[in-house]
Formats: sequence, C-alpha cells, structure tokens
Amino acid sequence: MQCNYCEWRCDLTGGKPGVCRMYEEAGGAIRERFPHRWSSCISSRIESIPFYHVRPGSRVLVIGTMGCNFSCRYCSNAFIAKEDPTIVQERMLQFSPAEVVRKAKQMGCWSIVFNVNEPAMSFPTLQELAEVARSEGVSLGCLTNAYTTEEATELLASIFSFFNIGLKGLSPTFNREHIGIPSAEPILRNIRRLAATRHVEVTTPIIESVNDGELEQMARFLADVDPEIPWHVFRLLPEDEMKEARYPNVEKIAGALDSVRSILPYVYFHNFVGSEWVNTLCPGCDSVVVERFSLGCGGDRLKAFHCVEKGCPDCGREIRLLGDVAEQWNSREVNR
Amino acid sequence: MSVAIIDAREWQKTFDLRTGETVADRHPLFGMVQGVQERHPYPGDLDVAGNRWVTDTALDLMEQYDPSFVFLTYAQQYFSGRYSVLTDADWPATVAAVFEEVERFVARSGFTPLIVGTGGMTPLAASIDLTRLDGLALCTHWSARYAGLHDPSPRDLQTVAAHPEIERIVTRDDFRQLFRDSPSDGSRAPEYLLVAREGCMFKTAGGAFRQVRRVPSPGYFIPVSACLEDVSDVTDIRKAVDRRISTGRVALIFVEGLGADDFPWPSRKVANGREWFFYETGDAQYLTITTGRHQVFEYPPGYRYFEEDGPGKEFPFSGYFRSVPEDTIGATSAARSIAVGNRSMFMHMAAGADISLECFARNLYNQGTMAVIHRSDKA
Repeated sequence: MQCNYCEWRCDLTGGKPGVCRMYEEAGGAIRERFPHRWSSCISSRIESIPFYHVRPGSRVLVIGTMGCNFSCRYCSNAFIAKEDPTIVQERMLQFSPAEVVRKAKQMGCWSIVFNVNEPAMSFPTLQELAEVARSEGVSLGCLTNAYTTEEATELLASIFSFFNIGLKGLSPTFNREHIGIPSAEPILRNIRRLAATRHVEVTTPIIESVNDGELEQMARFLADVDPEIPWHVFRLLPEDEMKEARYPNVEKIAGALDSVRSILPYVYFHNFVGSEWVNTLCPGCDSVVVERFSLGCGGDRLKAFHCVEKGCPDCGREIRLLGDVAEQWNSREVNR
Repeated sequence: MSVAIIDAREWQKTFDLRTGETVADRHPLFGMVQGVQERHPYPGDLDVAGNRWVTDTALDLMEQYDPSFVFLTYAQQYFSGRYSVLTDADWPATVAAVFEEVERFVARSGFTPLIVGTGGMTPLAASIDLTRLDGLALCTHWSARYAGLHDPSPRDLQTVAAHPEIERIVTRDDFRQLFRDSPSDGSRAPEYLLVAREGCMFKTAGGAFRQVRRVPSPGYFIPVSACLEDVSDVTDIRKAVDRRISTGRVALIFVEGLGADDFPWPSRKVANGREWFFYETGDAQYLTITTGRHQVFEYPPGYRYFEEDGPGKEFPFSGYFRSVPEDTIGATSAARSIAVGNRSMFMHMAAGADISLECFARNLYNQGTMAVIHRSDKA
C-alpha cells in the first residue's frame, strides 16, 4: 500500500513506517496515526509566521502537529519535526477541529496558520479543520515545504487559502546534502500550481557559501511564476546538526539581494533581530507602505501600515495584500 | 532616550528602545558597548559556557565603564534544569559550576557580592490539563504554578475545584486583596487564578514544544547571602542594597533555579511572597526585588497577554514590557551601574542600570545579544 501524500510515495505495506512515520496502512487505506493531536495552539502575530502580505498586524492562531518528510540539517524545530511521533504523544494537545476554531475565536484570531512542522503530515485532520473553519468564517494558511504529490497539492489548495512555501535551494547536491531529498523539482512545480490560485509567499533560508549563489536563479524562477510574489530570504539561524555553523554575513547577503530587487519587488531579508530589510516598498514609487520590526526567529511585528485600502498612499499603486484591510482584525474575541 | 544596541552576530544596529526607530547619533558609550558585545558572542541558553559569558562580559564592561553597582544574573543552570535530563549527580556539579563563576567574578572585581537564589527546582511530577475547559486558560511567561482562567463555565469551575493537583482557586478580588499595596491595581489579573500543587505544572492552549523536566519547587522562602542580616522579606533586599551602595562597591547577583537547599555559601532565608503566593523566577520577582515593592500585577500571571501585543505596542525589543519601570535600583542610584545576564530580555527593564547587556534569546533560540543604555550622562 503506497502513500501518495508526498513525493516519497512510501510503501506502508505490512506496518512499514514510511519516512514521516505519521501514516499507516489500515483496512486497505492510508490512515493518519495521530489525528487531532497538536504540538501548538497559541496566538501570535501574522508577521511572525512570516506572512507580510496577509492582513498585516492581525492576530493568528498558530497550530502544528508533529513529524516531517524532510531532514533539513538546520531544522529549528527538530524536537517536534524529527522526533519519533510516538514518543511526543503524551505532551501533545488534543483538540477536535471545532475546538481549535473555538480557541482561535476565544483569542480573537481571524486566521489559523499551520506552522511548526509540515501540514502534509496531517491531511485528514486538516481537511476536517478546514470544513469547520470555513463554516465559521476563519481562514487557514500554512507554511509548507510543498514536497507533496500533484494530487496532494490539490488537497493543500482545498484546505488553505494562503501559503508560505519553503524554497530551500535548487541544486540536487544541496537538496541531497542539506535537505535529504533528491530534487527540488516537485517543489517548483507546486509553487507554480499553488500560486496560480492561492496567495503564496516564499521563504528561503540562506547558508553562506552553500546556497547563496542561487539567489538570482531563484528570484528569476519566482518572478516567472508571479512577478509580485513576496520572497522572504532568511539568514540561517544555525540549529540542530548545524548548531556550530557560522552565522551568515548580513551585509554580504544584503548586498547580493540588492540585485534581485530589480527582478522581484517584494524581497525581504530577515530572521535576525533588528533587520532593516523588512519594510514593504511600493513597486511604483518606492514609498514605504508597510513598516515592520524584525525580532528574529518568529518574532516579527507590524510597526505601521500606511496603505490606503490596498493602495500606496503616495502614487495609488495597488499593493499585494490578501484580506480586507478595513476589517477590525484584532477585535474578534467572543465569549462561550 | 534609552537606546538598544542589537548584536546579531557580526552585525550591529542601534535603536530607540521605546519606538524601535534606528538611532543615527553616536555617543562614545555606544562604541564602547558595541566593542564589548563584539568580543563576547553569547553561547546559548543551554550551553555550559553561558554562565562564563556572564562573568567575562561583566568584567569587560566594568573595565570600560567603572561602575559602583553591578547587577548580574546567572541562568544557564535554570534552563538546563528545566529542559535537560539531569541526574541527581548532575545538579550539584551544575550548582558548583555556577558558583565557580560567581567566585571568579568576586575575586576579579573586588565587589561585595549580595547573592540571591531565585528559588529551587523540582522534577515535574504531573501536568494539569486545562485545555479542554470551556473558558480560556492561560499560562504566561513560563509559569508552571499559576494559570489564569478567563470566562469559565459552571462546569469549568466544578472541574478545577475537583482536580486533585490544583491547590487553590483564587478570585481576582481575593488576589487583588492579598497585594492591595501593589503599585498596579490588579485589574488585568485573570478572573480566576489557579494554583498548582508542588511539582505540577499547568498545560494550557499554547506550546507543547519542549519537554519540561523540572518546575519551581515551593519557594515561599529563598536564600540570600548571610551578610544580608537586615533582610527578612524579598521586598527588603532593595533597601539593603541601597545602604551598601552608599558605602562601597556592590554586586547584586541572582542565581537562577537555586533554593535554600542548593545554596553552597552561608545564607539566610527570606520570604518570597505573601501567604499562599510565592514568586516563581521571572519579571515579577525581579521587579519586586529591584523596586522593593510587590509587583505581582504589572504583568500578572495568566493574563490575556495577546491583547497587548498588537500594532502600536512600544518597546518592541522588550518583550511584553510596555514601559520602563520606575524606581528600580539602577534608575534611582546616583552611582554608575551595569547589568549583565543570560536570563531573558527583561533584565534591562528590571535592573534600570545605566548599561545592561543581556542575551537576546527567545524560546532558547540564540539570536545574539542586546545592550540597553538608559543613561550616558553620569560622571
């Protein structure tokens, strides 16, 4: 019995665990091993995910499960993504989809964002969640590595309305040695597919002298997909197997990014405290239209929102933004 | 204007602490502090070199600034104790290691040390699951013993009342009454404060990321240096420090995660709270010590923190702090002061020192250091 959720297409016959260890064969079908179990259910700011072009300044409920189909050497959440999912069960939160949506509303969140690990680990649970969330008017977004099969990518598109996709590198050598996958081709295919119908932002962690040489090539690919796709270039925060690695040189990477800003208008460089490359500039007149603080690793926040509706206050050009900016984003607390 | 100098490893930037705006002005102190930050990259919360970093950084900063008052926090053992598997044999060695650092600081600086153990730790015995309540249960700022319960249903109140691991349920009014002399009025305290029994911690909707191994042990009394003979309550420490600053060079040293049983030097016990309430290590305890007044309600346990975390919040580099606390030791002292610590990003707020230098790590992710300069005009 083959699992077709991700490109590994693991054979789960006879109790084989598969790469992610999150699915099993049962009764002639693929079954989720730990449905409705969550590693996180906490409110945060949408910039911290990061989403810079979705309801700026809004409060979101951050959820995650466990497990991953990648083995990134620098994983920031290895204690939940790489750990044997059986071992972590006792400290997981157990919520039905309706309870997750209720928690979101109790904390005044208009959106729920799947973060922490890979959503492809928990497809059936997330499908249920999407159904409840939709009926309650709560939108869903996610961070994903997009290493899903074509059919599973359609599932992702049916569950989530906004995505931040990790494009970690292009070369097969990099992907083999640092990510543990043979090729980035399925990811490129899925970025193209999801960006066609959903709001997509892309994140790329940069390891100096390893994948920084691919910046322009990645920018050109993204511009071909969508000339206004927001791109978050992360300074690698060395963790897990790369904990002893050198912190990448900020000025050098910032300099390299200067040249790709002529290819893509919304290029950000962050994941370190105090970054000055987190503001949104109007592609028409270069005015600062959204200002942010960078607090590094999952801590960014909105500083000021200058757009008039969705337009530049100076030249009126439309700025890429998902969501009605007139909404009272953070006033949705409800009682029981 | 207070400024924050961020050192994100090989990259530095200076900001207005309140607004977060970049600061272009140069002051001689800025360069001096940046040099100290550059020479002392932070090893990380769980790294055994974390406490050595405190001593080395403090000594370097003292050499440049010549303070009369130094505030230090050693916290590596607290992080390790909380999240690492430590055997019974590991803990004494860990305590010995941190006191070696304290001794090294004292020997090299010649300052009179006034040491405070912020409270011991005990192995986690049980988690109290509050996630299935109808109302919203919240734990804030790494608290294990206290949770806030907001908008509970009658069923919730029955459930928590019957729970064997919950020691006490306190209404907001009763909580406010207990600390009626606090500067803040307690209006932001939760509707109900739930108090866990010894060895237990609350599990609320939030992160279940890292496995907690140890939680604060009953800390009704905490140890302080025996020389603080005029101190019997945690709120007395401030006055005792003030008296000593007026006559000599003093270092107030917090050793995190240590209770009276762990304290290797002659010590005495001082009350660390009131009646059923004791401070867990954290901002409230720090502020209580540095201001000499109970500060339970400034950022009360279990409050709805997310409501204050929206756009427009000032002090972006200071976590949940919304203002610089008044009347802290450093803020009111005429003497030059510094603070160095590896506990959290609230040290610059709680100490009020002229110059603070602390790790910038969130959830154990090491992002560098932050220095805050509150004053640059002392001779």
